[in-house]
Amino acid sequence: MKPKSKAAVAGLLSTLACAPALADPGTRVALVPGGPHPYFAAWEQAGADAKAEFDLGAGDYRVPAKWELSLQSQLLESLLTQGYNSFLIFPGDAVGTNAVAQELVDNGGKVIATAGCLKDPTPALFCFGTDTGNSAYLGTKELIREMGGKGRIAHFTGFLVDPNTQLRIDAVQQAADETGGAVEVVQVIADIDAPQPAEEKINAYLAANAANVDGIVTTAWVPAVVAANSLRKIGDKRIKMVGIDHDEVVIQAIADGYVDGTMLQNPYGQGFIGSYVLNRLNTGCTLKDDAPWKSNALTARFVDSGTVFVDQATAPTYVDAMVGITGDLLANFETDFMNCP
Amino acid sequence: MSETSTPGEPALPGAATLGPASGVLRLVLGNEFGLAVLIALTAAIFAATLDGFTSPFNLFTIGRQAGIDTMIGLAMMAVIVTGGLDLSVGAIGVCAAMLFGWLVQVLGLPPLAAVPVTVLFGAALGLVNGATVVASGVHSFIITLATMSIFFGVMIFLTKAAAFNGLPPEVAAFGKLRFFGVVSPMLVIALAACAALVVFYRFTTLGRQMLAAGANARAAELSGIRTGRVIAACHVLTGMLAAMVGLMLTARTGASVPSMAGHLGQDWLLPAFLAPVLGGTLLSGGRVSVVGTLLGATFVTVMTSGLLLMRVGAFWILAILGLMLLAAVLADRARQVFLKSRGMI
Repeated sequence: MKPKSKAAVAGLLSTLACAPALADPGTRVALVPGGPHPYFAAWEQAGADAKAEFDLGAGDYRVPAKWELSLQSQLLESLLTQGYNSFLIFPGDAVGTNAVAQELVDNGGKVIATAGCLKDPTPALFCFGTDTGNSAYLGTKELIREMGGKGRIAHFTGFLVDPNTQLRIDAVQQAADETGGAVEVVQVIADIDAPQPAEEKINAYLAANAANVDGIVTTAWVPAVVAANSLRKIGDKRIKMVGIDHDEVVIQAIADGYVDGTMLQNPYGQGFIGSYVLNRLNTGCTLKDDAPWKSNALTARFVDSGTVFVDQATAPTYVDAMVGITGDLLANFETDFMNCP
Repeated sequence: MSETSTPGEPALPGAATLGPASGVLRLVLGNEFGLAVLIALTAAIFAATLDGFTSPFNLFTIGRQAGIDTMIGLAMMAVIVTGGLDLSVGAIGVCAAMLFGWLVQVLGLPPLAAVPVTVLFGAALGLVNGATVVASGVHSFIITLATMSIFFGVMIFLTKAAAFNGLPPEVAAFGKLRFFGVVSPMLVIALAACAALVVFYRFTTLGRQMLAAGANARAAELSGIRTGRVIAACHVLTGMLAAMVGLMLTARTGASVPSMAGHLGQDWLLPAFLAPVLGGTLLSGGRVSVVGTLLGATFVTVMTSGLLLMRVGAFWILAILGLMLLAAVLADRARQVFLKSRGMI
């Protein structure tokens, strides 16, 4: 997200969050992704904004050097030693991260699985992220609509170790199956949410099979960027495409007609609202057992951080869409999910 | 005893004729001494300057990580002894861990009964590597590069990449166990393995045959050592140690997780080489340093912990570890040149 956009989001959210947000400088939030990835870049600003807005002791974005479970665990252990007591964690592994999360909780920390879920039973308070299956399903439905209800789809997606990937694969397949055979998923290419494998595999696939594909759905950041670039390079507007996230390459490709739309996620909102919730829990609030928790394949305590489809008409104002979903969520979060004194 | 070299040949033969002073010099120039001093210095500096470095939790995590990294280093060291390499060490470890999860969760075997089966399975995968290397005559780098993908791929196919997270609670409890509030059982296991390997390389025929085959395979062959079998045995030992690491990580995470060593098990490769090379094990074979491997892993863990507490960027930590590996290789080279110039080797 651009700085101006971030400022706009923060400004609006600060207005929304000025409810009885008791400041607790003792709340030291660490926002820890599984590894370096552009999706999480917005967490840094979200943490900084939350620190300023809610007067937190810290709101620091700390990234493991690479996607390695042991590196993330070491980093989290170190953060606990450094005095952080509130953690927004994208799990390096849906099961494997539970152990270190338990250690954090055993030592007085609070953990929210963010942007990806931990598998139940888990010490995480809840999972706060995109309903990835629903997002992939809705995106594929939009693609099928653009394709006129029939044709062949290629699906480019993320890391196999990402707990979201299988959910996305299943959701795309479900949307195709609902057409009664009119739409077929002819290829799923996974494990390509990094520039080198994405460039190599997507370009090779399109070079050989572009004529045999009518639509592309991408459900990970880097494949969306690479596929958008590939369609621009080959000048193909016949192949319909729905991407994911808000990389400028994708947004521009939508504006230029090479991509038909994208499913926005809400990383800034995850970091900002997640920090807010942790602070409220540290200042006396508790989570409601009877809150409207959703469930997915990994957990029974899931909160959707929001997703929205933008197309050529709405792409220029996509920031407004993100602000909207974040604002709605923040305005109602305490009422819906927490008991506060 | 920490450093073991070719049988019939002291680690530094000239020392025997150069008197006690050169013995001290040899000790001071040894990797183990240098590492021990470095560990003491860095730990003292970190303890004096960083809040939390000496906290029980941090000391516990340092010990636990050092134990795991030591075992990974020992697994690689066991095959480096003959000048070989095993890139599949991580894949073997993960395959073994997944077998353990299946035995316990699906078959209902008690964890203690599943442990020896798992270690034997690791030995079997090591034997596949060793037998293939010996039968083909191709360097173990190529063979294990292939088997790394094969082992990992078959494991993913069989398990569908699904973790076994329904293990009995005592498995996870073991991973969190603390002796005296700070000592992890992972460290205890690593120390026990080190002691066993020191005895193995110093006092057993097979251990000394491994060193001999690594120092000069042709001479060893002429001495009646069946080097093919010895090389295969090295890979079996590597497989067993890798399986033990898989078990330790299973206890650490409380589950058997396919991603515990990353894609194809590659996450283990840096610690696998870093610890033995820092410790003085020769990549060309013929000399191992078990205690050096322990100290190397400990040094890396202490450095990593301190750098993380200093909030040095995680990306810099990897770069620093790479520089340490390079510096260790160059320092070892300089040490050998110096000792050679003094007629000590």
